[in-house]
Amino acid sequence: MGRIVLKNVTKTFGETQVIPPLDLTIEDGEFAVFVGPSGCGKSTLLRMIAGLEDLTSGAIEIEGEDATEVPPAKRGLAMVFQSYALYPHMSVRKNIGFPLRMAKMEQSEIDERVETAAKSLNLMDYLDRKPADLSGGQRQRVAIGRAIVREPEAFLFDEPLSNLDAALRVGMRLEIGELHERLKTTMVYVTHDQVEAMTMANKIVVLRAGVIEQVGSPLELYHKPRNVFVAGFIGSPKMNIFSGPEAEKLDAATIGIRPEHIGVSMTDGLWKGRVGVAEHLGSDTFIHVHDTGLADMITVRITGDIAVKHGDTIYLTPQPDQIHKFDDEGLRN
Amino acid sequence: MAIVAKTSRFGKYGRPTLAWVVGLLFFFPIFWMVLTSFKTDADAVKPEHLIFFKPTFDNYINMTENYDYWRFAKNSVITAVMATVFTLFVGIPCAYAMAFNPSRATKDVLMWMLSTKMLPAAAVLYPMTFITKTAGLFDTHFLIILVLSLINMPIVIWMLFTYFKEIPKDIIEAGQMDGANTWGEIKEILIPLAWGGIASTALLCFIFCWNEAYWTVRLTTTDAATLSKLIEGNRAPEGLFFGRLSAVSAAAVGPIVVLGWFCQKQLVQGLTFGAVK
Amino acid sequence: MSDRKLPRLLQTPAVLLLLVWMLIPLGMTLYFSFIRYVLNSLRRPEWTTPSFSNWRGFGNYEFVLNSKDFLFAIQNSLFIVCSILFLTVILGVLIAVLINKTFPGQGIVRVLLISPFFVMPAVNAVLWINMILDPVLGLQGIAVGGINELIDGLKDAPLVGWFFGMWPELQPISFRATQTSAYAVIIMVTWQWTPFAVLIFMTSLQSEDQQQKEAAVLDGANTWSQFRFLTLPHLARPIAIVVMIQAIFHLSLYAEIEIVSRGNGNKNLPYLIGEFANNNIGAASATGIFAVILANIVAIFLLRMIGKTLME
Ligand SMILES: Nc1ncnc2c1ncn2[C@@H]1O[C@H](COP(=O)(O)OP(=O)(O)OP(=O)(O)O)[C@@H](O)[C@H]1O
Ligand SMILES: [Mg+2]
Repeated sequence: MGRIVLKNVTKTFGETQVIPPLDLTIEDGEFAVFVGPSGCGKSTLLRMIAGLEDLTSGAIEIEGEDATEVPPAKRGLAMVFQSYALYPHMSVRKNIGFPLRMAKMEQSEIDERVETAAKSLNLMDYLDRKPADLSGGQRQRVAIGRAIVREPEAFLFDEPLSNLDAALRVGMRLEIGELHERLKTTMVYVTHDQVEAMTMANKIVVLRAGVIEQVGSPLELYHKPRNVFVAGFIGSPKMNIFSGPEAEKLDAATIGIRPEHIGVSMTDGLWKGRVGVAEHLGSDTFIHVHDTGLADMITVRITGDIAVKHGDTIYLTPQPDQIHKFDDEGLRN
Repeated sequence: MAIVAKTSRFGKYGRPTLAWVVGLLFFFPIFWMVLTSFKTDADAVKPEHLIFFKPTFDNYINMTENYDYWRFAKNSVITAVMATVFTLFVGIPCAYAMAFNPSRATKDVLMWMLSTKMLPAAAVLYPMTFITKTAGLFDTHFLIILVLSLINMPIVIWMLFTYFKEIPKDIIEAGQMDGANTWGEIKEILIPLAWGGIASTALLCFIFCWNEAYWTVRLTTTDAATLSKLIEGNRAPEGLFFGRLSAVSAAAVGPIVVLGWFCQKQLVQGLTFGAVK
Repeated sequence: MSDRKLPRLLQTPAVLLLLVWMLIPLGMTLYFSFIRYVLNSLRRPEWTTPSFSNWRGFGNYEFVLNSKDFLFAIQNSLFIVCSILFLTVILGVLIAVLINKTFPGQGIVRVLLISPFFVMPAVNAVLWINMILDPVLGLQGIAVGGINELIDGLKDAPLVGWFFGMWPELQPISFRATQTSAYAVIIMVTWQWTPFAVLIFMTSLQSEDQQQKEAAVLDGANTWSQFRFLTLPHLARPIAIVVMIQAIFHLSLYAEIEIVSRGNGNKNLPYLIGEFANNNIGAASATGIFAVILANIVAIFLLRMIGKTLME
């Protein structure tokens, strides 16, 4: 059972402070996802929880006990690396069994547990292969298998899917989600793909330059982004954010409207613009609209297909209750 | 390769011929030494017996009967093997720490280690002799093993360091996450993964130990004297006893050259000193 | 202390061993270099035991600096090391490129080529100076003698005799002589260490990017420009490493110098120290300190130049 508490944690590499003082609690059984732009300190934070990176100051508690000085091997956490980090010289069976062997478990028990894990991950046919002879997705599953056999307090994932192709990524996303449903173990998951974050998390932690911008459930973040950064970061395509007279009309410094909350018409509407690129996905159409006088480009998302072409004039109307308003400091008001 | 495979006339005949000529030229002195070792001392310096002569084993028989070859050889094997083992034993953990837990000083420490190899041995010969005699270590296997280890440790650590650095840090960290302690990591992950590099390093260390001739000659008399001491003792005045000298030399370098041949694959692949990226 | 610090502690045994190995003898050398200390002296028997009462200050250093061999030994050390480096790198690159492509017997040629590297330095020296380079009994002497005889014979031949009559008699070179002994050392060490360079360059060539080469061929690069613009830059790093390792080893050459000419015309600092140490330990120690300083200058120079690329 793993409740993880970070208290006033900081991290400094040389002169640069990567993580300013930060507090965070991850409840037992939660699926917490760290998202943020590249270089914002997600991996560093995760590695600090793992014990692979020393804290510069502050403390980490795992399951109520101070773990700040506990070496990674003794924290009872399992980690899945972006590179999978399988042991190339060991067979799949040995790889999965390694943590158990390190825990000095009986060989018969190891075999049993490895089989169970392999079954649940569809790896039975590959148990005697070396990692080099596996596909990316299989390697990923071995890495997960290695993590689950020892029944850790919590799982840590560092961008585990970013080396997979798009189709596989969706599949693995579901598998990890199911794993969480089944095991109910705490999971901490790092990604910069906000779709992953939205679909898997019960709790999203949005980071920017080491600072937590917002913590909340996916829908909370979607509907009530606490500031402009979160608003722009969560949601795909990105929220349209702009300031100017249109914002002032609503008593805000900046306003934001998601592409899916804008209606379009070829004849009339609130804002007038010119169609740039239209991306037809079949189910949806993304239209990039220029010359609205609001921002360089406004993105609109429409369900279904619509016959617009480059250069057409188009009218946009936002849904008034879906407009997000932010003050001078970028905070929601 | 499909495009490069257009072979010129040089590629077909010239390159192999030239390569063979160069190879034979480089090997010739060794061949010559072995050939001479089968001549009598008198034949060895006669132009008319340059190539045609009556081969004799006398030199080798003489060497084993009168010069105690086997004792020197045994000492060489013992000291070189033990020194290699000890050097690796101390060097692997050190290189591991430097490669995976580097601090800001790591680079300087490594460079300092290498620089100890440049200290002139002759400058410290006298104090060393004095100290070892006082401590009662002079002419002991223990001393020679220690000295050989210390001489080769910088190079060994450096080589190991370059191999270890090639191992993705993730894998070592995965080991930590999987509950391996430091020893488990070294034994289960590091050594198997860097096995090729460690073998090359051990081989090179062994060769250097075997061939060391400054300290082994000066810090021994009989008990721990190695083959280099035997050579030293047979280095007669100019131009004398070529046959005998060749036999002793051939018997001293023979084992190591043959070992080198067997392990040349390992050396060719492993001797990178971090030069291959 | 938490056991997370353990990994770093693992370097302490090696560091401590090397520290002791360096500091104790160095400390004694430093001490001896400031006192009068000789092994035998009938006139001043009190100088034969080291003691602070024989303090000489910088006297030993002055003595060494004024001795005629000192500057020569430094110059000669550098001359030998640089020549060997130059030759081994050039030969090493050429040979490595030569044997890098597959050809019949490649494996055997490789074995033949690397064999000299396994030979004991003392054997190397004995072998070359006696059996090969000796002006009378060695192959050199025999070869020169043979050529002279051949020419002699041809002098009486009809028609062409007058032509050969104008040829001088060839003189074998004595490699133990003052002017040539350094060359003998350079030849034998080059023979021994070229294989090492070849080994390292070969390994590096194997990792050369073949796609890059193919692209270059498509771009119309000929063999020379491929070598010049792809292979040579690729070899920069291994060359740096070969230079560094060899510098480390050759600065302390000893056996070869002793065996070739006993330092006649060819000393380096280690050898000079050895000569002083036959009796005058004070002077030997002072020279030793100079050698340490020289080694450190070279080390700093080399390691600055090379160390950076190594840590990446
Ligand atoms: N060992 C280190 N030494 C110095 N700086 C580091 C080190 N590791 C990370 N950093 C810096 O810390 C910052 C955060 O890095 P981190 O790897 O945590 O980012 P991230 O959010 O995981 O990014 P990405 O999404 O690209 O993986 C970066 O600016 C990085 O340059
Ligand atoms: Mg990261």
